[in-house]
Amino acid sequence: MLATKEKEFKMLEKAAAEFARKELSPNREENDKYPFGPFWDDIVKKAFDLDFFHVLLPETLEGMGLGMQSFCILLENICEVDASLAGIIFTNSMAQEIILATGGEPVLKSMMDTATDVYGHLFAFPAFANPSEIEPTVTAVPADDGRYELSGPMEYLVLGNIAGNALIPAKIKGKTGYVFFTCDMASDGVEKSEPVLSLGLHACPAVDVRFFRAKADLIGDAGNGKAVFDAVSTRMQCAAAAMAAGIMKGSFKEAFDYSKERFQGGRQIIKWSEVQMILAEMAVQVKIAETVVEQAGRSIDEKQKGWEDGSQAAAIHVCQMACDHTCNGIQILGGVGYMKDYGQEKRFRDAQQIQSLLGLAPMKKIGYIHRKMQRI
Amino acid sequence: MKELDVSHYIYREPRFDDIMCDLKALPVLPKAMVKEAQWAIAYARKFNEEVIHPQCLSLDRKMHENPDYLPWDFIKAANEWGFYTLFIPKAIGGWGINGFVSPFVNEEIAAACLSMANLIGVHYLGLITLFSTFNMRIIKEIVGDVKNGEKTGEPCLVSLAITEPGAGTDVEETDLIDKSNVACHAEKVDGGYVVNGSKIFISSGHVSTWHIVICYTDLKKPSENVIALAVKTGTKGFSFGRMEKKMGQKACPASELVFEDCFVPDKYVCLVSDELTDSRLKPVEIHQKLIDYVTSATRVGVGCLGSGVAKAAYDKALKFASETRVGGKLLLNHEWAQCMLAEMYKNWMSARLGYVEGNYANTLYTTQNDVAKKSGYFMNRIMTKWFANRVVSPMMDKPATTRKVRRQHLDGQPLSAQQCASGWASLSKFSGTDLGIKNCQMALQLMGQAGLRHDRGAEKLLRDSKLLQIYEGTNQLNRMNLFKNMIGRGFQQAMDFPE
Repeated sequence: MLATKEKEFKMLEKAAAEFARKELSPNREENDKYPFGPFWDDIVKKAFDLDFFHVLLPETLEGMGLGMQSFCILLENICEVDASLAGIIFTNSMAQEIILATGGEPVLKSMMDTATDVYGHLFAFPAFANPSEIEPTVTAVPADDGRYELSGPMEYLVLGNIAGNALIPAKIKGKTGYVFFTCDMASDGVEKSEPVLSLGLHACPAVDVRFFRAKADLIGDAGNGKAVFDAVSTRMQCAAAAMAAGIMKGSFKEAFDYSKERFQGGRQIIKWSEVQMILAEMAVQVKIAETVVEQAGRSIDEKQKGWEDGSQAAAIHVCQMACDHTCNGIQILGGVGYMKDYGQEKRFRDAQQIQSLLGLAPMKKIGYIHRKMQRI
Repeated sequence: MKELDVSHYIYREPRFDDIMCDLKALPVLPKAMVKEAQWAIAYARKFNEEVIHPQCLSLDRKMHENPDYLPWDFIKAANEWGFYTLFIPKAIGGWGINGFVSPFVNEEIAAACLSMANLIGVHYLGLITLFSTFNMRIIKEIVGDVKNGEKTGEPCLVSLAITEPGAGTDVEETDLIDKSNVACHAEKVDGGYVVNGSKIFISSGHVSTWHIVICYTDLKKPSENVIALAVKTGTKGFSFGRMEKKMGQKACPASELVFEDCFVPDKYVCLVSDELTDSRLKPVEIHQKLIDYVTSATRVGVGCLGSGVAKAAYDKALKFASETRVGGKLLLNHEWAQCMLAEMYKNWMSARLGYVEGNYANTLYTTQNDVAKKSGYFMNRIMTKWFANRVVSPMMDKPATTRKVRRQHLDGQPLSAQQCASGWASLSKFSGTDLGIKNCQMALQLMGQAGLRHDRGAEKLLRDSKLLQIYEGTNQLNRMNLFKNMIGRGFQQAMDFPE
């Protein structure tokens, strides 16, 4: 069993690393120009064909039915080169996981059956918000046909301009809490902005959306949105940590390689002990991140006691480390690290962006300690 | 108390002169400096409100879309408002706002937009380098062009070209430069020098009219053979190469300057270190003095940019916290958020204290002393156009004036003064910029999704601020410079750049 798992991980790691090297690396700078350059349509389609969007999906939905460790391996290897694609995969998977957690497998299946292209399979989702922290601004009202009508603005809906469907947290008028709705993004009453220019993950697009009586379907029970989001996001925090770990690996590799090439004061900068000290710190951070993410992923897959703590702690710690790490990653390269020709500046931006996945970073710490307090 | 002789304790490390720059500088400064600072800060705020705020984000967005765009509209506005002559003494045709005040103005503008603050500040980097050669005739000519540009509405900016493809940090330390890969060579020919090589990352290069180019007459021993040349855009053999595609500070171009058999006549040679035979300093010491005069001013300048961005990030976070409900209550009323905001306020103030002390050190120990002390200050205040034109101007053409000023500043500055100013400049640079970055990161943590959007302005602060840790010597080099100037000197066994 263990050997099979190991083999499975190795295969996925190899596939993801090769894809990143061949498909993502050559055009990283060009792809990052979005929204002022073309969207990397062909890359998304290739990734879809390679089943990178199906890792967590159950086999009953033609997914790979793999666990969190596999998902983390995939994201980590992609992020080592370009985190934007991982952002797309993460967002779509987060939405699918929420739908599955509410018993929405039939809904998901019917949507997939009717999809005519890659984007028909994808879900938009506000991946950088925790609706329990900042109240949803979209309101749902029951319609005559048994469905609901969504109205109100939603900021920064990730994949909102490319995905066929969206998973939207909204309040039902007259009820407390919030709940999730699926909505066809091509339906009447959905008004999308131009892509929002953001700090990082440029090629993982987001738009502002205004709903005006847009038809939508309730997922799960009214008012249970918070419970579902908390359960799924606790699990998915581990994936966010894996993305940050991947970025760190890429940043260290580029810094290490450059330090052997660049001369300062007549010698390679890697021979300067202050540079060695920074590189050592970066190397240690990478090792810690790899270990923490691997352990957290395993504890999730094996449903070990306290897996929730491991997943959340990984996200809090590794995402913060990645912000500091990538800052040093630029510093080792000096002026050129600040330029688009190298990957370091993008990693710096992406790491900071990923820290806000699934809500405010400080609130994740508060949430972590709250759960511990509840156990007392 | 006075009967007990403790005077020898004052010479122990840390030296009183190093840690009490403020106390020593305050009696030197005229009271009127307060009003001048108030006016200048208010003027910068008005400029921010009327010029920077309306276009800061849209210009940055435009630069995302078209990285080759040159921000002439902003430069013309800054020129019209007088920012390119604001800190030039009246005696040579500027507005005469005291140099002591300039960091405070830079901080204000940086808090509105680092890119635009750099488009103004880098001009003074070029001018300070020119001033630090003490070549009065060329100073007069170039400042005259800047002044004329203000009158005609055609801005005349000055850049400093020192960084090379093979040498970054190296060029700011004479201890390193001989082992570096500098390649910008100036060969003596009849009537001038022929320059070959290239310079990179030259801030405002593409938009500057004059470039103070640091070259070397002997690439085998550059520390002893530095030469500063004034090269005008359009000079034969000089061209612009690529404009870098930067993560931030996008509106301020970082240019490549290419020199191919570019002839620079003797009249535009600002300084040749090995030809100053009447100085008691060795060429390498003159070279280091030139670097230190420039960086003592400009590193304090970068420190104040760090402070400005620390303030800007704090402001963004505070505004967000005061408008946004998180978990059912205003973010501002979460204890942890209050503590984060207090930490950010502390970071801003710490950055501020660093550069303010660096500014005092410059007031005491560098050329800033000439204009900031009472006599220099009032001389500048009462300077009439007639006196400037009829007396000062003709004097500046005389080689004797240049010799006298050089003697005063190159030979007259004691090593301890040079060390204190240089050490404080490095300290204010790396502490201010590290704290600036820290506040930007904290603002983004606090704001989450909202902070990531370009249209909210917070993410730009982080992108812009990262460059502050790199230019004017990386923060690592500045730490080593602080050690060299203010720590290591107390230990005979300590070596500069020991490895």
